[in-house]
Amino acid sequence: MSLNEVNPSIKAFAIVISILILSVFFDPITPLVTILWSVTVTFLFGRVSFKKWLLLFAPFLFIAVIYVWSTMLFPRLQGGDSVIWQWGFLTLTAEGFQRGASLGLRVLSFATLSIMFTLTTKPTDFLLSLMQQCKLPPKLAYGIMAGYRFLPLIKEEFQTLQNAHRVRGVARARTIPDKVKQLKRYVIPLLAGAIRKAERTALAMESKGFTGDKNRIFYREITVSRMDWLFFILMISAVCLSAFISWKLGYLQFYNGEL
Amino acid sequence: MLAKWKLREVIVLSVLAVVFAVVYLLFLQLGNVLFGLFGLIGYDIIFGIWFIVSIIAAYIIRKPGAAFLSETVAATVEVMLGNAVGPQLIISGMIQGLGAETVFAATRWKNYSTWVLMAAGMGSSLFSFAWGFYVSGFAALSPGYVTAMFFVRLVSGALLAGLLGKYLSEGLAKTGALNSFPLGKEHKRNVTV
Repeated sequence: MSLNEVNPSIKAFAIVISILILSVFFDPITPLVTILWSVTVTFLFGRVSFKKWLLLFAPFLFIAVIYVWSTMLFPRLQGGDSVIWQWGFLTLTAEGFQRGASLGLRVLSFATLSIMFTLTTKPTDFLLSLMQQCKLPPKLAYGIMAGYRFLPLIKEEFQTLQNAHRVRGVARARTIPDKVKQLKRYVIPLLAGAIRKAERTALAMESKGFTGDKNRIFYREITVSRMDWLFFILMISAVCLSAFISWKLGYLQFYNGEL
Repeated sequence: MLAKWKLREVIVLSVLAVVFAVVYLLFLQLGNVLFGLFGLIGYDIIFGIWFIVSIIAAYIIRKPGAAFLSETVAATVEVMLGNAVGPQLIISGMIQGLGAETVFAATRWKNYSTWVLMAAGMGSSLFSFAWGFYVSGFAALSPGYVTAMFFVRLVSGALLAGLLGKYLSEGLAKTGALNSFPLGKEHKRNVTV
């Protein structure tokens, strides 16, 4: 059993609920333990290339650092905070630093959970599962699949447009106002083309007997097994356990409804 | 919700959502640059762009649910396109879409004037901010900074989603591609009269 085979909808729910739980805590330890857990699970149970994982994860380090400094520079000051450093309107407190670290680690924990999902889930399987398990209407699901298939076509059209402009002697945009104008020259025709294609696709689907009826059978069935629920329970328990460890270490801090 | 929709409308909504999902992912990169320059408030400057498909879909199709569904589908497609966008984004998309939908619902899906479109963008700003407040832990920030973020996002929603969305939709109507949709019909009437 690998992560790649877990039912996509259940995997998605496990991650969304983990994130909702993580958001209640304002201490660095809870997200940190969750990060360790999710990275371990990703590499032990998922067929994931380390290089790809690192490529996706790296930008979040940068985002996390900015979260930390934003929170440190603009902290919510509370009575009893110990001030480390003060300069003009800037006040650095130990508590502010800890909350900053907790938000930075929160971003990273969301990232590891997200990457665990995206690197082990095929896009079409996810959509099929949403339709078969979460009652996404077939009309919309097949509409999304059709639209998804348009992307390479739209890219091709974009290149055609680019070439056509060049043949007619439109100079390459160099200044920012020129670039905005150029963007407009591309966006409207591309969108118009996409809409026309969408209408033709709808006509073709209807003429081949697609009614969007919910009582239909599927060529590819996505199933739910006990293992899927086991995964779900393990993921949620792990987040709760992270909070428990943090509490044992004396770090746990909740969101107190501050506005 | 979709029972009263024609297949044509559903597919056009999906295709708009797919196209803007790609745009959204590209703007995430720009957002990160602004984020690097200005800190947390950097995202809020361009946050409105992430609501634009709600405005465009609702303005073109004019049916209950257009704003909500298009934003939700765009978020789902962002997750499908992979990268590091996890399934929690679908919840964000639903909440943003709901923000705009609430404004359109308040007019009983009858009024699509510029002001309503801008208010819908602001509705998305408001809803998404409440969600971000919880998930991103804005409670740890100083209230003054959070208020500034909120107002920047509100303005961004009105301009980048409301006004830009209206402008793009009308550009599309001029091409004639929307002739079988309410916006296209309205445009044709105005031209012939």
